[in-house]
Amino acid sequence: MDSPPLTPPNLPLSAAEKVILRWDSTASEEAREKMIFDCDRHEVDLYLQAVDEIQRSISSTSISDDTNQVNPAVQIAMARLEDEFRNILISHTIPIEADSLTEQDLEQQPSSSSSPIHREAIDGESNYVNDEGNKLFRFNSEGTCSNVSVNSSYRSTSSIREIDLIPSEAVYDLRCIAERMISSGYLRECIQVYGSVRKSAVDSSFRKLGIEKLSIGDVQRLEWEQLETKIRRWIRAAKVCVRTLFASEKRLCEQIFDGVGTCIDDACFMETVKGPAIQLFNFAEAISISRRSPEKLFKILDLHDALMNLMPDIDFVFDCKSSDSIRVQAAEILSRLAEAARGILSEFENAVLREPSKVPVPGGTIHPLTRYVMNYISLISDYKVTLNELIVSKPSTGSRYSGDPSTPDMDFEEIEGQTPLAIHLIWIIVILQFNLDGKCKHYKDASLSHLFIMNNVHYIVQKVRGSAELREMIGDDYLRKLTGKFRQAATSYQRATWVGVLHCLRDEGLHVSGGFSSGVSKSALRERFKAFNAMFEEVHRTQCVWLIPDSQLREELRISISEKLIPAYRSFLGRFRSHIESGRHPENYIKYSVEDLEDDVLDFFEGIPVSPHLRRRSN
Amino acid sequence: MSMDHDSELDDLEFFQKHVSDRFSDLLSSTIEDPSSEPLLSIAWLRKLLDDFLCCEAEFKAVLLMGRDPSQISKPPLDKLIPEFLERTIKALDLCNAVTLGIDAVKNLQRLAEIAVSSLEQAPIGDGQVRRAKKALSSLVTAMLHEDKDGGIVKGTERNRSFGRRGGNNAAANNKGNFRSLSWNMARNWSAAKQIHAMSSNLYTPRGGESTGLAMPVYIMSSVLVFVMWTLVAAIPCQERNGLGTHSPFPRQLAWAQPMIGLQEKIAEEWKKKEKKGSVGLLEEMQKMDKVGQSLIDFAESFQFPAEAEKLEEVKGQVEELAEICTKMEEGLEPLQQQIREVFHRVVRSRAEFLLVLEQAGKLSAPPM
Repeated sequence: MDSPPLTPPNLPLSAAEKVILRWDSTASEEAREKMIFDCDRHEVDLYLQAVDEIQRSISSTSISDDTNQVNPAVQIAMARLEDEFRNILISHTIPIEADSLTEQDLEQQPSSSSSPIHREAIDGESNYVNDEGNKLFRFNSEGTCSNVSVNSSYRSTSSIREIDLIPSEAVYDLRCIAERMISSGYLRECIQVYGSVRKSAVDSSFRKLGIEKLSIGDVQRLEWEQLETKIRRWIRAAKVCVRTLFASEKRLCEQIFDGVGTCIDDACFMETVKGPAIQLFNFAEAISISRRSPEKLFKILDLHDALMNLMPDIDFVFDCKSSDSIRVQAAEILSRLAEAARGILSEFENAVLREPSKVPVPGGTIHPLTRYVMNYISLISDYKVTLNELIVSKPSTGSRYSGDPSTPDMDFEEIEGQTPLAIHLIWIIVILQFNLDGKCKHYKDASLSHLFIMNNVHYIVQKVRGSAELREMIGDDYLRKLTGKFRQAATSYQRATWVGVLHCLRDEGLHVSGGFSSGVSKSALRERFKAFNAMFEEVHRTQCVWLIPDSQLREELRISISEKLIPAYRSFLGRFRSHIESGRHPENYIKYSVEDLEDDVLDFFEGIPVSPHLRRRSN
Repeated sequence: MSMDHDSELDDLEFFQKHVSDRFSDLLSSTIEDPSSEPLLSIAWLRKLLDDFLCCEAEFKAVLLMGRDPSQISKPPLDKLIPEFLERTIKALDLCNAVTLGIDAVKNLQRLAEIAVSSLEQAPIGDGQVRRAKKALSSLVTAMLHEDKDGGIVKGTERNRSFGRRGGNNAAANNKGNFRSLSWNMARNWSAAKQIHAMSSNLYTPRGGESTGLAMPVYIMSSVLVFVMWTLVAAIPCQERNGLGTHSPFPRQLAWAQPMIGLQEKIAEEWKKKEKKGSVGLLEEMQKMDKVGQSLIDFAESFQFPAEAEKLEEVKGQVEELAEICTKMEEGLEPLQQQIREVFHRVVRSRAEFLLVLEQAGKLSAPPM
């Protein structure tokens, strides 16, 4: 934007002074009531010409001549220009609608935290800019001024989108004034005025964006759920602030001050945005130093990722020396967020290890801890791209082979070729099991504690198998180990419950030596039947209430029980029922038919109590 | 066993002594050589912050190094440390508020620089005087307004006439400039209230507790409160009305004597200035205020050409103002950086203490 050629011919000095004095706002009411730059162009040009003439005469006359005549004129002119400058800035600021500041972006994010993607309806009034960068802007031109052009420029980072804050004619006028103020040595006043007006414009945009002023104390006190909402809002707002708001302010400074002296545009820019930028980042900083607890991990990662994506834009917008502190602060916050994420993971591992609940879960089913942990590490695998970069060292909780009974042993070297993050996940599963192993001891019934382990480890396996990322990170080796463990638990359960029951159906001890007539001790046989009935009834009664939530596992275990129980009973019945039936009250001893047993096995592990009266009997 | 106990005692005693020594130094530097580091000057504040960082480092060493971490989680520390950490949060907010306040001071510096540059040109003509007066009026007006919105100007200064010429518009607009900076802290946040809250639950350990770890915690808390209080007294920041001036420290504590001495001196200044409605005790600002008022007087009575001796006097004052600006130019930015360092250090220590407490299971277990 070049100044127009000076209006010839030159204005004589006395005439120039008259013009200046006419517009001295301290001297006349009339001068106070009107603004020069609101008048027609002729008036404006005349004034500027007068200023130029005064300046010219100062530089050409020697110091002592008429100093006091020309001097005051300069000051009066500069004071006037300062007011004009302020007035143009204030009255020509394009009012930005709140929703036109909203940047809907279509960036990819982890599925669990995808930002809502919606496009706003276009109405006839607004200019609609949609570009290949997939960014959408609605720019409402219902401002107070006439020619508004949406000027979207592409810079080196494709995500920066500047908008016009002040229409170009006003910018031109501002530049005219700035040049003259600065060449008269009134740079400081110029920066002051510019900074104070633009700063309140930025403040008002902040309010429209809903950027809150929260102290660190406030952030510590708020509930995490409330903070999650605020973080989400902050991420949206920060993108708009850096990529549009600050970038546009920077461009405005360049438009007005570029070439008019060194680094003045930088000074004005910093004057305008330093405070607001610090205010913006203070929130993220407050989050980064908040107390660590596991539920915060994922929002903190969101915040970290958002800030990291914003860094190139921050570096671009705040590229001058005087804005070092802002870039440094942003980098500090980023690294604190990373540290927080690491700390939270560690904290989570501790919490899993220490989780103290002793009340056994009824029915031996899946413990809430197991669900929580597996959901948590599922989410971790969703965030694995970021976390793989942040987590670079192996778990420190617990020590290998420390001999400390309160932590499990694990040799991390065994797990080859896995990322540190994956090792952490495996470790988490290890300590989960360790914790569960402790919990299962609270069951009075050993069978139930085995069932409990079986249920929970199986659940772990299912969750891992159900997620491709998890499976890849946990690895098939460890998965095999886990599978083995729950099968082992199933076997232990069967041994604990059924060995005793099947013991009733064994052959030894029933035959008496000697004598042809009866090879079988009737009394022993009766005892056996009674014992079997009692045991089975007890087992049936108790274990119907137990639960195996996974239907397939439930089926498998029942089949496995049946496979051992039914043939054994069938053969026992077959061999010995005649001996009982030949005696008195056989119904007291043979209470179950094979079909009865088959039916009853189906009741097992349903979690539903069975009333003994409902038991079908067949003779 | 007794050897360990002795060396432990030495640790705590040394800490106490070092704190006392540092503050004693700070106090004496204002008495012996007041021109180099006057009380509450930028240089003195920087020294104060340096001392704070040293105390803090030693405190952490005393409490965490070479000690069984579970000691931190035993009574009475299991209650005292979380209280201390609460105070550190307030200190962090105060650091931010003071940093913002320093930005406001930088603004005053720039206004003063306008006055300096216009009055430095010889010979002094009407134009320069008007320019200087405009800038100085804004400066002094800004200084008079206390830091809340719609601040009530105290005292007689409200009626002071700056003259209807030239100064008004700029003054009005720069008032807004000053106030808008203070809106950057959260609404209803008050520096005075924060300081008050920090000191309200500060109790001197008695009896048996006074020989254990409770004492260094108390000492460090006191240092923290004092440093924050001093910063707030010196630098304008949001809502300092009601800043307490009573010493929260009992007089009989030997190690606290220098701190109490400093606190009394500063409190006295504060009370004096509070009546006049002036804005910050920062020594450079006080000087700027005085010189500024005097130059405004000169400007109001100025007629070209001025008498030689008057001009000589003004020349001296302008030089003084220029020197203040230089001190600010050189010292304010480093001061802000130091405060930032304090911020970082407090955050770091806080995290370390939290970790120790959490590992000892003393903090509420995270919800599962």
